[in-house]
Amino acid sequence: MLAYIGRRAILAIFTVWAISMLAFAIIQLPPGDYVTSYIAQMAAMGSVVTDEEAQNLRIQYGLGQPIYVQYLKWMKLVVQGNFGMSMEWRRPVTEVIGDRLWLTVVVSLAALFLTWVLALPIGIYSAVRQYSVGDYVATFIGFIGLAVPNFLLALVILYFGFILFNANVGGLFTPELQDAPWSQAKVWDLLKHLPVPALILGLAGTAQQIRIMRANLLDELRKPYVVTARSKGLPERTVILKYPVRVALNPFASTIGYTLPYIVSGSIIVSIVLGLPTVGPLLLKALIAQDMFLAGTIVLLLGLMTVIGTLASDILLVWIDPRIRIEDT
Amino acid sequence: MIEHRRTPRTRRLRSRLTIALVVGVLSTVVAAGALAQVGKSGLIGKLEGPEVVTDPAKQPKTFKEAPQLAELVKAGKLPPVAERIGQDPLVIKPLQSIGKYGGTWRAGFTGPADYWNGFRCCSGPDHLMFWDYTGDKALPNLAKGLEMQDGGRAWLVHLRRGMKWSDGKPFTADDFVFWFEDIYKNKDLIPTPSAAMAINGKQGTIEKVDTLTVRFKFPEPYFMLPDMLAGSTDLAGQWNGYKAMGGFAPAHYLKQFHPKYAGEAELDKKVKEAKFDSWVRMFLAKNDWALNPDLPVLSPWKTVTPNNTPTWTLERNPYSVFVDTAGNQLPYIDKVVMTLAENLEVLNLRAIAGEYDYASRHVDLGKLPVFLENQKKGNYKVYLDPGDYCDLIIKFNLNYDADPEIAKWFNTADFRRALSLGIDRDQINETFWLGTGTPGSVVPVDSNKYNPGPQYRKLWATLDPKKANEMLDKIGLAKKDAEGYRLRADGKGRLRIEIMTLGGQFVQYTQISEMIREQWKKIGIDLQVKEVERSLALQRTAANEQQLAAWNNDGSEHLFTFPQHVFPFELAAVATSGPLYVKWFHSAGAQGKEPEPRMKELMEKWKKAFGVPEKERIQLGKDVWRIAAEEVYIIGVVGQGPAAMGVRVVKNNMGNIPSRMYNSPDGKTPGISRPATFYYK
Repeated sequence: MLAYIGRRAILAIFTVWAISMLAFAIIQLPPGDYVTSYIAQMAAMGSVVTDEEAQNLRIQYGLGQPIYVQYLKWMKLVVQGNFGMSMEWRRPVTEVIGDRLWLTVVVSLAALFLTWVLALPIGIYSAVRQYSVGDYVATFIGFIGLAVPNFLLALVILYFGFILFNANVGGLFTPELQDAPWSQAKVWDLLKHLPVPALILGLAGTAQQIRIMRANLLDELRKPYVVTARSKGLPERTVILKYPVRVALNPFASTIGYTLPYIVSGSIIVSIVLGLPTVGPLLLKALIAQDMFLAGTIVLLLGLMTVIGTLASDILLVWIDPRIRIEDT
Repeated sequence: MIEHRRTPRTRRLRSRLTIALVVGVLSTVVAAGALAQVGKSGLIGKLEGPEVVTDPAKQPKTFKEAPQLAELVKAGKLPPVAERIGQDPLVIKPLQSIGKYGGTWRAGFTGPADYWNGFRCCSGPDHLMFWDYTGDKALPNLAKGLEMQDGGRAWLVHLRRGMKWSDGKPFTADDFVFWFEDIYKNKDLIPTPSAAMAINGKQGTIEKVDTLTVRFKFPEPYFMLPDMLAGSTDLAGQWNGYKAMGGFAPAHYLKQFHPKYAGEAELDKKVKEAKFDSWVRMFLAKNDWALNPDLPVLSPWKTVTPNNTPTWTLERNPYSVFVDTAGNQLPYIDKVVMTLAENLEVLNLRAIAGEYDYASRHVDLGKLPVFLENQKKGNYKVYLDPGDYCDLIIKFNLNYDADPEIAKWFNTADFRRALSLGIDRDQINETFWLGTGTPGSVVPVDSNKYNPGPQYRKLWATLDPKKANEMLDKIGLAKKDAEGYRLRADGKGRLRIEIMTLGGQFVQYTQISEMIREQWKKIGIDLQVKEVERSLALQRTAANEQQLAAWNNDGSEHLFTFPQHVFPFELAAVATSGPLYVKWFHSAGAQGKEPEPRMKELMEKWKKAFGVPEKERIQLGKDVWRIAAEEVYIIGVVGQGPAAMGVRVVKNNMGNIPSRMYNSPDGKTPGISRPATFYYK
């Protein structure tokens, strides 16, 4: 087991390294660079930037060098735990991402928690009571949740929140507490703002997970070991929860690899619509402005999360389903 | 196979039509509703604004200050108000009444790239000279006065006695000399000297006469200098600090970041600690009004939390030199708090919900009906501030060379004129401006001093498809294909031209271009609308790849301080009407391509205007616009509307708000209305 995890961990390091190169290369793909978009901003504000000035800016930002030199310079910083200076925000990248990272994790974990809390019981219910009224209702709502794009849902909820409740529009904090240091009041404020984005983000996932749980459990319920257990007189609760549900959880565990990066990237559009101060909108803006170090760091972070997530789900799977362990060792 | 190939094109076409139709119909219905409710005249008020009092006899003798500052004075933490203001305060007569101190101005901004948001409202404006509220005359501002010498070859700037930076240190001639000698002439900070510091390509100098007098000296007469100090130019004060321009800078503070004054090792250490790549980057960041709370400033408010955080906050400057006619130190409002809005929809919704006290930047004209509907609930009022310029122009790239056929037509005046005649400006005005705009050519509003005459508004700028068709037939584009589109003269099929548009702007360039596409069908012109992302647009412009481009010519009403949308002046514009002409113009003919005679005439007249007295300059300005309108290098579509930042949402309890204000980048609107005099009733 330990050897298995060790092998995995070493592979993970190489993967992250490859991702860092890929991330840097991808960011360079669109035409132009940060200076181009900076000049565009200047022009929009009525400032004139001449050719020579543009060249000078490129030198200042180190954009004139070949891409591998820029990459190596960045890597040198990354190894020291300094991810460079954001060109647009003119602050160290770590500072720009700072609080946003934790807020992103909070929002997404809330969404994930909501998804599982809703999806697991409903999925089990739907499988056990297949074709019952409850199953149909759950399925119906589930499909609606799956079919409505969540940014649209966000817009609708924003609008009704404003029309009906005169609710604070967008954001995770009331303006007064936005910049206040962390306190009980601020945490409470965050908790009050959390349910709406969590629900919006979680809804599509919930529907999906309900269907997966239902289908998997149905497969398991028909297997001979379940029939045997039941015929031996085991209580129905135990029959279902102890074995088939555990096996049916397999896909939940194996998707953790994708869920972790989804924590950052999946919420981009909703975060933009709802005006949430998370990493998502930051990534989008950084990409548009070609803010290399910022975008690169976030993409690297996403890659790292995928790798960690995959590692976690592998370990979890081994724990849930002993059959995998037998195959591997 | 055939089916397969045809489907996507049909679908694209259909979706485009649908978009155009839906947008068109919806906006028209909505427009009708909105205007029935209030009426155009009810939303556009009379141009008004506060006035600067220059007569020393009318200046207040005693001064008052905000309660918080009075307390600080009492506690001995601040010198008395009269000492802080100095002997020659900048007196502003508020628009309606003397205000009250207090309150927080809540607004929104979209991130560090949106820094003009704060400059426009709160920098003062901290120019040496600034426009009166009509945007017409440059008046003394931070400077007490200007004095012309040597037939315009030199200008004396008289500073205000006892005026101070926000940290209490005196503002003197040394701040100008430091800027000129150590910033402007430093090649690392400024590799290319500014055209604003030069006349006819010859650079000027700045020298100290005494503590309170500075001399700007030029090799040739520079009559335009007062306007250059007032407009949004390189010499216009501290807002330019992020790129090391401004005309002056706080020497006592910035010296610690300059290699000439700080030791090399010490400076290196500072740069490393602050995680900058070089001293230049650090210096520019330290000299940024919006970024560095420690930077001494001259504006009524100063940044306390920078614009690269979720909330950009500004607080009153205790040493502000601005006072009202009763001697109250301005600003009245204690604090300005701008919260980060991740997208424009949230910003607009917050404004509709009444969460902002005053918003105009990013407020979308298309949402006017919703704004009107919620006026009562949000306790605000909607104002429209039409600009004096064109909200939508179409630029021909006169230097386009990738396709010689298209290049030839772009350089044919009658082709450009015919295209202009093929646009139904009234339809566009009704649909997208809700009827609030004025259809016409590129020339500025009739009352503008450079306007060549009312007849130029309509010159080549009315709908006349018959004449347009005749003109196109005559220049050699008579042959048409089965669908009625004109064929290229070189036999390579249909004449297709492309327009580059940007989405997510103040004006809906893409949607309007789609409508023009439909209109040009009637004159047999096949227009392709290509919406591109901003940096791609710039890239294509720089590479001389774009054909037509949609933009606005805001700022062009100040022809000489803001010419980039009148003729090819700027390479880095999102669109230019000729990148090679730009190079030719700035290199005095050494690079680029020599313009055709009429364009050359236009450029020469423009350039000449800087060195001649105003009367002569006005005539030259008129000539420039006359040529621009006659030659149609740029098609004017609809203008003088509120599309560009002209929809204003203001809380009912805010006082001294003009019912209409001058809307322009040079006026730094709302800066031209002196927000330091706004207050809460």
